[in-house]
Amino acid sequence: MRRLLTDSQASRHEEFKSFVKLNVEPFAEQWDREQEIPRSVISSLAQRGYLGCSLPADYGGQGSDAVTFGLLNEALGRGSSALTGVLTVQSMVSMALLKWGTAEQKRSWLPPLATGKMIGAFGLTEPGAGSDLQSLTTEFTRTSGGESLLLNGHKKWISCAQFADLFLVFGRLERRPAACLVPRNAPGLGVEPICDLMGFRAAGLAQLHFEDVEVPSENLIGKPGFALSHVAPVGLQYGRISTAWSALGLLRGCFEESIAYAAARRIGGGTVGDLGMIRSLIARMGTDLEAGSLLCHNACRAEDDHLPEAFERTLTAKYFTSKAAVRAASDAVQIRGAAGCHGSSPVSRYYRDAKIMEIIEGTTQVHEDILGKMFVARAGGPGK
Amino acid sequence: MSPEQASGIKDTVRAFILGSIAIAKLDDDDDLFGSGIVNSLFAVQLMTFIEKAFGIEVGMDDLDMENFKSLNATAAFVLRKNGHSAA
Ligand SMILES: Cc1cc2nc3c(=O)[nH]c(=O)nc-3n(C[C@H](O)[C@H](O)[C@H](O)COP(=O)(O)OP(=O)(O)OC[C@H]3O[C@@H](n4cnc5c(N)ncnc54)[C@H](O)[C@@H]3O)c2cc1C
Repeated sequence: MRRLLTDSQASRHEEFKSFVKLNVEPFAEQWDREQEIPRSVISSLAQRGYLGCSLPADYGGQGSDAVTFGLLNEALGRGSSALTGVLTVQSMVSMALLKWGTAEQKRSWLPPLATGKMIGAFGLTEPGAGSDLQSLTTEFTRTSGGESLLLNGHKKWISCAQFADLFLVFGRLERRPAACLVPRNAPGLGVEPICDLMGFRAAGLAQLHFEDVEVPSENLIGKPGFALSHVAPVGLQYGRISTAWSALGLLRGCFEESIAYAAARRIGGGTVGDLGMIRSLIARMGTDLEAGSLLCHNACRAEDDHLPEAFERTLTAKYFTSKAAVRAASDAVQIRGAAGCHGSSPVSRYYRDAKIMEIIEGTTQVHEDILGKMFVARAGGPGK
Repeated sequence: MSPEQASGIKDTVRAFILGSIAIAKLDDDDDLFGSGIVNSLFAVQLMTFIEKAFGIEVGMDDLDMENFKSLNATAAFVLRKNGHSAA
């Protein structure tokens, strides 16, 4: 991977990996079991400036390029997908606000998000609106004087909502898609934890219930009518970059755990790694790791160069790495036999977490649908 | 704005749209959003292309369908952002 990186990116990656080795890997299993990430761990991400990695220095962020942001997600993804989820949604909220906030909104909200004083959550999905975002029903209505908005509705599967301080919420204002910021302490906002997920168990998911939640009209982000076409996509782009690299980190975890085990575990007169069928699994894992890494770099270079291709390349990277992570995690469990089925090895957690990556930030099928259309359209075919 | 400048912008944007969306032709006044040529998935790509190609930044104040509804509207918007007053 090193040849793809500048010296500074390579050294940041080493820094991120050491942080994860020391502060994340030894504890990830416990967080998963207890379905909770200690606040002190999120604070340590914040203290290092990681939660504001992509935000400009003017707002208290690190102003890192997209590749460096990707490398941070990769390193965290090796340790804990649930913890990476905090960075994912923090970046989704921050980057949407950076692009579409007013000067005043950016001055008020970005510094606390950059420094991690505030944790953000991205409130898009509803019980009746997942892939089909046009079905959103959360309703924003203007109060009589127009100074405030009243929110009514229900959000589901919202990462970090159990502990987030600020929610970017999507809904409809006079039937047009709209987005606004809602502080956690807004009266009428109910947060109902969702427990016992299959993976991402410590990611603090919750449902949000809005009952006449009043927020100032100046909390609207972007203009009504543009929330699904312009505001959400900026957040989702960063969400996909984050998830693509996090899946790559998980894939690296599967690979490293598998080669170590294959070389050490005695079977018959040799090792597991002497078996041709096991080598096939490891060969595919190693190749997917390399291919996924190239796709992730390709996506982030396009993002850094502000190219319109960044959207397609990010979809491709997330599509590939999430699927490859599922395959690798399944093979990593297989290679370990019974030992792979127990919490004493991270691969059993990887197996559960990887599947989630095929669902968040757009499912695998939605990625196939969009990419397939884009590829066919390029030939002038009927892919519209 | 000079007609040459506007027509150069329209041709650049037209080529990008025709290369990305499965349509055979695009006229200067075709309704990009109402007709579904630009859907919610393509809107940010188109915006990013316009920002990159013409060295402008689209911000929250520019979020107005009137700025992007057609090639003619887009050309006028780009020229305005670059400091040219409407002719
Ligand atoms: C751990 C976790 C964290 C999450 N965090 C957040 C968060 O922070 N914020 C947030 O807003 N949401 C979050 N979500 C929700 C997530 O974004 C949605 O689950 C996802 O968008 C899919 O929606 P859905 O679950 O309603 O599935 P549905 O949209 O109901 O899909 C059901 C099935 O239909 C398929 N399908 C749907 N549309 C198409 C199509 N056009 N073509 C082909 N197949 C299709 C899907 O692939 C899937 O197999 C999270 C989910 C999980 C599991």
